[in-house]
Amino acid sequence: MFNLRFALTHNRRSQLLIALLIVMMLLLAGCFGGGDSSSAGDSGTTADTAEESAAEPVAGEEEATEKEAAAEEEAMPKEEAQTTEAMANTLCGLGTGEAATGEPINVGAVVGATGPDDFSSAAKGAAAYFNCVNANGGINGRPINYIVEDDGWDPEQAAQVAAKLVNDDKVVALVGNTSFVECAANAQLYEDENVIVITGVGVPRECFYSANIAPTNQGPRLSNLGVIQYAYETYGARKFACMAPNVPGMAEWICDGLAAWGADKGVTIEPVFFDPATMDPTSLILQAVSSEPDAITISTPAGVAIPLFGAAEEQDLRDKYHWLGPTSLYDLDFPAAVGSYWDGYLDAEIELVNTDSTSPDNQAWLQILDEYGTPDDPRDSFSQAGFLAAKIFVATALELDPASLDRDTVTEALRGVTNFKTDLMCGSWYFGPDLDTHNANHAGRIVSQVDGGWETITDCFEIEDPDLAPILDMEAQGGLID
Amino acid sequence: MPNLSPFFVTGLAVGAIYALSGVGLVVLYRASGVLNFAYGAIGAVGALLAWQLLQYELPETLAWLAGIGLATLLSLGYGRMVAPHLAYRDTVVKAVATLGFALVLLGFSRWYWSDDPRQFAIPTDTIGVSMLGVRVTVTRMIAFSMTLLITIGVALFLTRTRLGLLMRALANNRDLSALLGIQVLQVETWAWFISGVLAGISGLMLSDLVRLDAIVLTFMVIPAMAAAVVGRLRSLWGTMIGGLLIGVLEAVATPFQVISPYRSVAPFVVAIIVILWLQRRRVITFAGGT
Repeated sequence: MFNLRFALTHNRRSQLLIALLIVMMLLLAGCFGGGDSSSAGDSGTTADTAEESAAEPVAGEEEATEKEAAAEEEAMPKEEAQTTEAMANTLCGLGTGEAATGEPINVGAVVGATGPDDFSSAAKGAAAYFNCVNANGGINGRPINYIVEDDGWDPEQAAQVAAKLVNDDKVVALVGNTSFVECAANAQLYEDENVIVITGVGVPRECFYSANIAPTNQGPRLSNLGVIQYAYETYGARKFACMAPNVPGMAEWICDGLAAWGADKGVTIEPVFFDPATMDPTSLILQAVSSEPDAITISTPAGVAIPLFGAAEEQDLRDKYHWLGPTSLYDLDFPAAVGSYWDGYLDAEIELVNTDSTSPDNQAWLQILDEYGTPDDPRDSFSQAGFLAAKIFVATALELDPASLDRDTVTEALRGVTNFKTDLMCGSWYFGPDLDTHNANHAGRIVSQVDGGWETITDCFEIEDPDLAPILDMEAQGGLID
Repeated sequence: MPNLSPFFVTGLAVGAIYALSGVGLVVLYRASGVLNFAYGAIGAVGALLAWQLLQYELPETLAWLAGIGLATLLSLGYGRMVAPHLAYRDTVVKAVATLGFALVLLGFSRWYWSDDPRQFAIPTDTIGVSMLGVRVTVTRMIAFSMTLLITIGVALFLTRTRLGLLMRALANNRDLSALLGIQVLQVETWAWFISGVLAGISGLMLSDLVRLDAIVLTFMVIPAMAAAVVGRLRSLWGTMIGGLLIGVLEAVATPFQVISPYRSVAPFVVAIIVILWLQRRRVITFAGGT
C-alpha cells in the first residue's frame, strides 16, 4: 500500500501530462471546427432533454440567443436584419411585432430526443413558430409556454412525462410530438383527460388510430407505400424486400400494409425485421437480397439506414435492385453521408413539400427558423411537420376567447378543424370528428438522390392503402376538405 | 435450408473485432483486475475524433492515429488517475467505476457530436473479392488477420517478455508481486496502454464495419465481454474463439425469420452456454462450496 501511494505521488507529473494531452486532443478537434456548424455547437441533445419554454427562455439560452443575434448582425447589414425580422413577424400569429405579456398558455410536447437517434426536430420547428407568435402578440395577448419533454425512446418514461404535462403542467394541448413509443403509451391518458395531440411525426400505428391523436405527417406505412407504388409504376417492380426495425406496432404494420396493397396486383413482399442495435448490417442486406427482390425499401431513421447502404455498397448491389425509402431518409446530410455511389440509385417518398420549395408556407418555415430557431435546428421534413402542427394550433386558438381559453375549449376547437390549407401538404389537413382514425396527410412526392443532394422528381400523388378506406369514405361525405 | 456460407463469411469479420476487443479486455483484467466496461466508449470517442479530423480534410493516416492516440490517452488517463485509487476494492466495484467512466464518455460524445448521419469509411472498403457468394472486402480481411496477428503477438508478449511475466505475476497475486519489488503501477500502466490501443483500433474498425455511432460503439463492450467470458477472462485463444463464435452465430441466425429479430442475444447465449459447460461437473451447494 505504501509503495502504491509513493508511486502515485511520484507519478503525479505523468498524470498531469496525460490529462493535458487529452484536453489538447479535444481542443484540436474544437479549434479545427471553428467555422463549421456541424461540429461543437451541433449538439441539441442537452437542450432537448430539458424543458424548453418558448415564453420564458432560461438564462443560458437567452445568452446564447443574444450571442447568435450579435453574430448575425455582424454578418449582415443592420437594415437587412431588421427587414428579415419584420418579414418573419408578418408570417405568424397576429403579426403585431409586440411581445405577448398576458397569462401564459401551457402547451406540451413529448419527443424521443435521447435514444438510438435524436428524434426531436418537429418540436424544434414548433418552438420556432411559437417563439415568433409570442413576439407578435401571442394568442390574443397570451404567450405560449411550450414545454418539451424527452421520452428517451422508453414507453415508461413517455408515460411519466406525458402525465406530468397533462396533470401537473395542465397543458391545453400537445403539439409537435415526435416519438416511436409515446402514442401507444399515452393514447388512453389523452382520451381520459380530454386533451388533443397534434403530433408532428407519428411513427407506430397507434399514432394514427387513437381518438385524440392526429398527426400532420403520413407515417412510415403510407410513406413506404408511396415509394413502392412509384417503383411499381415506374420500374415495373413486383417483388419487394421490406426492411424495418422490429419496434412494436411498426415493422409488421408497415410491411403488412405493403402486402395488403399488393395482394391483387401480383406484388409480393419479403419482410426483413431486425433489431436496430444489430451489429452486422451486411448480414441484413444479404438476407434482404436472398429472396431476389426487384426493389428493397429501407424503413429506418437516416442514421440507422446509413450502415445498411454502406453494406450494400460493399457488396456493390446498387445496380441489381431498386433502392427505396420513406421520408426518414430525406435528410439533407444523408446523400453526403452515404456518398456519391448512390447518386441516381435511391428514391424516397416525402410526406411534406421538398424543403427547398419556394412555396409561401415553406419559405415562412425557413424564415421563422432562421429568425426564431437556432442555426442547429434541422431543416427537414419532420421540422416542417412540427411547424405545421404549431400553425394549426395557433390558427385554431386565435379564434377562441382568450379569457375562456382552456383545455376543454381548445379540445373542442381542434376537433372541429377542417380544410386547413397549407402548401406544406399536398392536400388539406383536418382533425376528423368522431373518428378513431386520423391520417389526413395521404398524398406525397418522390425525391431522388442526385449529385450529392435530393431532387424532387414527381408531383403530388395519392397513396393507396386499403386501410385508408374509412378515411376516404369520410372525406367523400364532404365537409372535411374541398 | 438457406445458404449460410455468405453469412458465415460476413460474421467472421465482425466476430474478429469482438475477439480483438475481448483480447484487450482480458489483457487488462489479467494485469490489473479491472473489467473495463468503458472499453467500447473509449473506442467510440477515438473513432469520432478520427471522423472529425477527416472532415477537416486531414490525411487519413493522421486521423486514424489521432483516434487511436486519444483512445490510448483516455485509457491511460483512467488507468493512472482513477484505477489506482480503487486497487484494493472488490472486482465488482472496479468494474462499476469503469461503467461510470463509460457513461461520462458516452454523454460527452452525444453532446459534442450530435446525431447527424455520418459514415466512417476506409479506402480498403472498395477493394474486395467474391468468396462463398459474398463480396469480402480487404477491410474485412484486415480485421480478421489483424485479430489473429495481435492475439498471437499479445500471447507471445505475455509468455516471452519480462513485462509479460510481470503482468502474469500481478494477475496471480498482486500483493506478493508488490512485495517482490515489481513496480505495480508501471506494469498496470502498460496494460492500460495496450488495452487503450486495442480499444482505439476496435473502435475504428467497428465504425467502418458496423456504424459510427457513440451508443452502438459503447455497447460493443457487451459481445467483447461475452468473448472474454468464453476465454474465462484468462485465455486469449479462448477469447478469440468466443468472439468469432458470437460474430458467426449472430450472422447465420439472420436468414431464419423466427429468430432473426432476436439475434443480438447471441453474445449472452454463447456466454451462458460456455459458463454452464465449464462448470458441468461441479455441484453448487448452499454452503457455498463447489
